[in-house]
Amino acid sequence: MDALFSRLTMTGASAMLLLALVVMWRRHVPAYVTAFRTQSVVLAFVGAIVAWMGEVPELFLVAAIILGLKGWIVPRILAGMEARRPDDRGLRPLVNTEMSLLISGGLAVAAYELSRPLTEVVSLPTRSGLPIALALILVSLFIVVSRRQVIAQIVGFLMLENGVALLALLGAYGVPLVVELGVFLDVLLGVLVMQALVPGMEKTSAG
Amino acid sequence: MDSVLVIALLAPPMFAAAVAILVRRAPVGAVWFDAVTMPVSACAAAAIALRLAAGGAPVVVGNAWRLDALSALLALLVSVVATLAAWLGPGLERRGGVPSTEIRQYRIYANLFASTMLMAVSTSNLGVMWVAIEATTVTSALLIPLRRTKPAFDASWKYLLIGSVGIALAFAGTVLAFVDYATTGGDLELALNWTTLRTAAPSLHPEVAQLAFVFLLVGFGTKAGLAPTHTWLPDAHSEAPAQLSAVMSGVLLAVALYAVARWKAIIDLAIGPAFTDTLLLVVGIATVIVGSASLLSQTYYKRMLAYSSIEHMGLACVGLALGPLGVFAALLHLTGHALAKSAAFLISGRVYARYRSGEIEAVSGLLETAPATGVLFATTVFALAGLPPFSLFLSEILIVQAAWRAGHPAVTGLVLVLILLAFASLVTHLQRMLFGEAGRDVPRGERPSVPLGLLALPVALLAWIGVTLPAPLRMLLTYAAEVVRP
Amino acid sequence: MTPIVLAVTECLCLAIAAPAVVGYVRWLKARLQGRRGADFLQPYRDLRKTFAKGMIIADTTSWIFHLTPCVVVASTVAAAALVPVISASQPGDQLGDLFALMALLILGTIFLALGGLDPGTAFGGMGSSREMTVAALTEPTLAIAILSLALTAGSTSLGTITNTLLTTPANAIGPGHALALAAFLIAMLAETGRLPVDNPATHLELTMIHEAMILEYSGPYLALLEWAAALKLTLLLTLASNLFVPWGIATSLSAGALALGLAAVLAKLALLATLLAVLETRVAKLRLFRVPELLAVSFTLALLAATSSFFTR
Repeated sequence: MDALFSRLTMTGASAMLLLALVVMWRRHVPAYVTAFRTQSVVLAFVGAIVAWMGEVPELFLVAAIILGLKGWIVPRILAGMEARRPDDRGLRPLVNTEMSLLISGGLAVAAYELSRPLTEVVSLPTRSGLPIALALILVSLFIVVSRRQVIAQIVGFLMLENGVALLALLGAYGVPLVVELGVFLDVLLGVLVMQALVPGMEKTSAG
Repeated sequence: MDSVLVIALLAPPMFAAAVAILVRRAPVGAVWFDAVTMPVSACAAAAIALRLAAGGAPVVVGNAWRLDALSALLALLVSVVATLAAWLGPGLERRGGVPSTEIRQYRIYANLFASTMLMAVSTSNLGVMWVAIEATTVTSALLIPLRRTKPAFDASWKYLLIGSVGIALAFAGTVLAFVDYATTGGDLELALNWTTLRTAAPSLHPEVAQLAFVFLLVGFGTKAGLAPTHTWLPDAHSEAPAQLSAVMSGVLLAVALYAVARWKAIIDLAIGPAFTDTLLLVVGIATVIVGSASLLSQTYYKRMLAYSSIEHMGLACVGLALGPLGVFAALLHLTGHALAKSAAFLISGRVYARYRSGEIEAVSGLLETAPATGVLFATTVFALAGLPPFSLFLSEILIVQAAWRAGHPAVTGLVLVLILLAFASLVTHLQRMLFGEAGRDVPRGERPSVPLGLLALPVALLAWIGVTLPAPLRMLLTYAAEVVRP
Repeated sequence: MTPIVLAVTECLCLAIAAPAVVGYVRWLKARLQGRRGADFLQPYRDLRKTFAKGMIIADTTSWIFHLTPCVVVASTVAAAALVPVISASQPGDQLGDLFALMALLILGTIFLALGGLDPGTAFGGMGSSREMTVAALTEPTLAIAILSLALTAGSTSLGTITNTLLTTPANAIGPGHALALAAFLIAMLAETGRLPVDNPATHLELTMIHEAMILEYSGPYLALLEWAAALKLTLLLTLASNLFVPWGIATSLSAGALALGLAAVLAKLALLATLLAVLETRVAKLRLFRVPELLAVSFTLALLAATSSFFTR
């Protein structure tokens, strides 16, 4: 049973990492929003698995909120923002696609090496997914740094949050509920404020 | 009694924000309410600080709030600067000119901003501290584009994005520490309480603790304006309205360093201080280099002040890495910087109102057109440049002394050179602004007014602290330093 | 059946079946596109016809031109001898392992490119340079994808890899395996010149890679090169099916097991060929400068698979 738990969570974590790679590969913004939405759904799924097999009932609530907030509400906000910024589509990233993918692969290898002490210390069956969570964090950071489109940067930030949430799920079956709820609130507010700021950035004249 | 103090500390800004939200027209009422309730918060903070300076026990309310000497110091700084900004904020000028929507927006978000900062320093749970610091980013990002110009929106966006990414990394560090603690089999409910982690620290695993601290330093360091993630700071602090810049530069950066210091206290018990000291030293020196080196080439005075903030935060970071004396000096430095930088930005708001330009070139003859403002501006910039008798001189000397005592002669020399460089740059720019011929369309003459009087207060405080480090403050700083480096 | 006979039989199986695989893919594509399509034995007839034709060889060629078809055929047949087809107790293991397989494949690729350059025509040079660009990314990807399996199995010999997966099927659940398979399939599409990387049916200069290199060849040389290409496709498909999804392969040398193994590999080949035909019908050819992006994706997937295998040994 533990082996199945381990394999399922590891598969979910890998799917999340691959979806982050989609942002490296595809050039157009709608693909990024879809990748983020799918990644959040997978995260909710991983949360539900941990809640069920790790016997932590409150994680069901957390998984439901992830699904609703990051799987539905935030992608809708992003899609709305994307529709209003069509001229972003021409922006090329700072690093080209092949180099981005190779750097992401390198970051994944680095994450495996960095998380070696962590996997040795944690005794939960989900520990084999911890390097993947750390890789997701590093790759998302690289997305924020190397992409020029505004939505791509936001998606990178949101994927970073997903990565940290995954780290918490796999490493300790989630953080205390109060902190988790605070994080959700912060993310929602952050995205709303970003949405409010973006129209102002488009003004061509000052004042 | 403890809960009364905590409520008196935290509630006023929240009430003020609520009133500002509810009162739609004629926000003057909300403004006066704000001006009256904020001092309550400052008094509560002072009371807590005095109690802790006298050697009293930390103010504790249940498992949620805990104010020890370090928290009390920061709470005092935050509430005093926030009160000053409330008194000098839009809506209280004799002449109108500021649209009421702007006034209302400012009062709402500035108060929410102040309350999130106060919550961040008063909570006993490091996870809640994280949530509060993230909330500070969100509330202040909404306030930067108050004048709705494109550069302001761009600056706010950069601030929000880089700040949020940094904070997310800090959360990763928090989670790593939590996971490490969870493997020791402790009580998970109280896992993120600072006292719990402190007690459990010796049983944390060294390499995981190291990895966690790296994330935490990068994350909270982004909010504190430390290199290399400082790039948002000059834009955000120069485009924001003067009162917001005062609060952000003066205390928000200090609150972020507070978060670093809190975590340092835990990690040091797990792996000894050498690792965190080295990291903080490297990051701090890099930050000071960035700040000092950029000062000379600045052409906008608010950006100049922003880079000065970067330099001072770097110095404080270096101080944190230099043992008990260094931490004492760093905390004293944060105190002085909070007063000096907030006063400097508030005064720069007056300069902008008079000269209608943010460029150093455009401002000349300040001493002639507005003597009182000019003198105050000069004194705050002198204070920031590290001149005696102001307290920043004292704290910088102490940092240099701590560096020497800790056995880092190269660091000592480098810090001295950089401080001198900053001093030279600041004084050069100041001299250009103070003297010379003012333009013909600049209004001349200045009447004594309440704001001027209020702005003289921090300057006087800086001089008083610098000349005679008053005993209560000294004791508070000592106890606060003991929290970080026992 | 003695190991030597088995090895030769396996190799012959692949060699003989190769044109049929290509014919089947072509027939299925024709059907999917609404045409009747020639039956799957047509490539054999084409090969027989081409073998019988005379050769026209340009004056500007050298001995490389003549050597290329021989080397390509030889290296591909040798590579085919290393692939586990019917039996997992792979006699070819004594001949070479994963690295030998990769070396043989790249040997063929290099000589093909040289043969394209040799006549000095524009088309040939263009095809060769494109082929080298693609090969630079596909060869490492194929190697690393199989290496991730080898890391779990603890050996680079192909038979051992197959056997390990048979004995511990739990290794197949989990990301490493799926990622490696995905990377292998994408790289295989590029290596064998199928859509979306290269169109095997085109002769337009803008879109040719493989076809451009063999443009100058005629008669028996052309027949040899086309057959070698078909054999390469078949051996890579067999490798994909038997390394990643080995169930059905014979683990003993009994007649029943071998028959089952033969049936299994034919079924898997048919399935993969069907999927290939469907894919080729659905996707359009990628623009040439987008091809490295796709290959970088497959390389990253392979790298991730190998990393996860390495760290979870």
